[in-house]
Amino acid sequence: MIWQPIQDPELGCLSYIIGDPITGEALVVDPLGAVGLEQYILTAQDLGVNLVKVIETHVHADHASCARELASTLGVPHALSRHAPASFVFEPLQDGDHWQMGQVDVTIWETPGHTPDSISVLVADVRRGQDPWLVLTGDSLFVGDVGRPDLADPNPEAILRASRDQYHSVRRLMSLPDYTEVWPAHYGSSPCGGLFMDKKPNSTIGYERRFNPFVQMEDVETFIAQQQRLLKPPPAEAAELRRKNLGL
Amino acid sequence: MTLEELKEQVDAGQSLMIDIRLGKAFSEAHIAGALSAPYSQRGWGRAVAGWLKREAPGQPVLLFGDNRVLVDSAKSALEAEGIRVTGTWEQGLGPWIAQGWPLVRVENITADALRASLSEWTVIDVREPYELRSGIIPGAKAIPMGELMERVKELDPSQRYAVVCASGNRSQSAAAWLAEQGYQVANLVGGMSLWIGGGHPVER
Repeated sequence: MIWQPIQDPELGCLSYIIGDPITGEALVVDPLGAVGLEQYILTAQDLGVNLVKVIETHVHADHASCARELASTLGVPHALSRHAPASFVFEPLQDGDHWQMGQVDVTIWETPGHTPDSISVLVADVRRGQDPWLVLTGDSLFVGDVGRPDLADPNPEAILRASRDQYHSVRRLMSLPDYTEVWPAHYGSSPCGGLFMDKKPNSTIGYERRFNPFVQMEDVETFIAQQQRLLKPPPAEAAELRRKNLGL
Repeated sequence: MTLEELKEQVDAGQSLMIDIRLGKAFSEAHIAGALSAPYSQRGWGRAVAGWLKREAPGQPVLLFGDNRVLVDSAKSALEAEGIRVTGTWEQGLGPWIAQGWPLVRVENITADALRASLSEWTVIDVREPYELRSGIIPGAKAIPMGELMERVKELDPSQRYAVVCASGNRSQSAAAWLAEQGYQVANLVGGMSLWIGGGHPVER
């Protein structure tokens, strides 16, 4: 499998190019405006792959995305959760969507919480094994933390609902085998997580099961109470950034 | 440059056309006479400029690609090495194909398709002798990459050739070269790795 994380240390953002060496096809996930669409095109060429689809794990509220521009420059689909309230045309993804690019096998899970349109992308390499080798968790599960519930809709009821969804999404991710690698959309001091997000960009399901404080909380009400208690002030331009990324 | 200018340049044959697309795209189809040099951010400019200064000093250079970002980057890389780029094309083969103008093509064939039509093909295995121990496709002719130029005379232009290597990379460039010489060729996608992986028969 061809595997290339691309990060923006400034904002603690992560994006990915995932490709198949035989068909020469690749996906780009959560491309960052700060990195620029040119860099994704140049990197894909260096890796010897063609970008055939741009996926976003959710509509971001902390940084500018370049997914739309990249997809239109390349003439390839821009895929988002069917729940994304975007104003532009996109390929809607839903739970259980599944396709293969050569030996790379991709499955979509809807993992709402941080936003109603949050998805996770499970990636297997069928040459190695049928189980997912890694999961791109977006802002649903971070290394040491989980996504905050208040950025998509800051009204108190919506926050409670989002937090409840987040709990169930985290439980669902924990149904994956321990050895599944976890690659989120953020690390370090990103404003999308809470106080415990690690500076290390990746982990495994097993490690998070054992040591992530939010995963340790068995009971949904405790989880919601803790998320409420630990809320940081939202990033200054959150609403504006999400509006822009929605094309509104 | 416009499509007409591109066609004129190709017909005049004065310029050297460098095709910067990935090897797979080049081997599937390219304009006759183009040289394959897939662009990469690392070392491409120096290597290609060095070759041009040695082998084609002073010849006008055209860059052929299918993406503005990559063509612009390749152009800057050559210019930084003192090569003047006289023309660029960033729209790929689409407009050329739409005119019905000729191309050098290599068919890509899957292991399953080759197995099903094996009697219609002569298989050429371009791997090194030590690699053949893992097995060859029954009836395949072994011609290592390095001997291909010399032994091309052994081939028959009226036959169809399927070119094979370990993973489909070397065979891709061998097939492109054979197509350029006028042979009818296909490249086995994924090479012996997918042939053996697909459970197809081998001779040892």
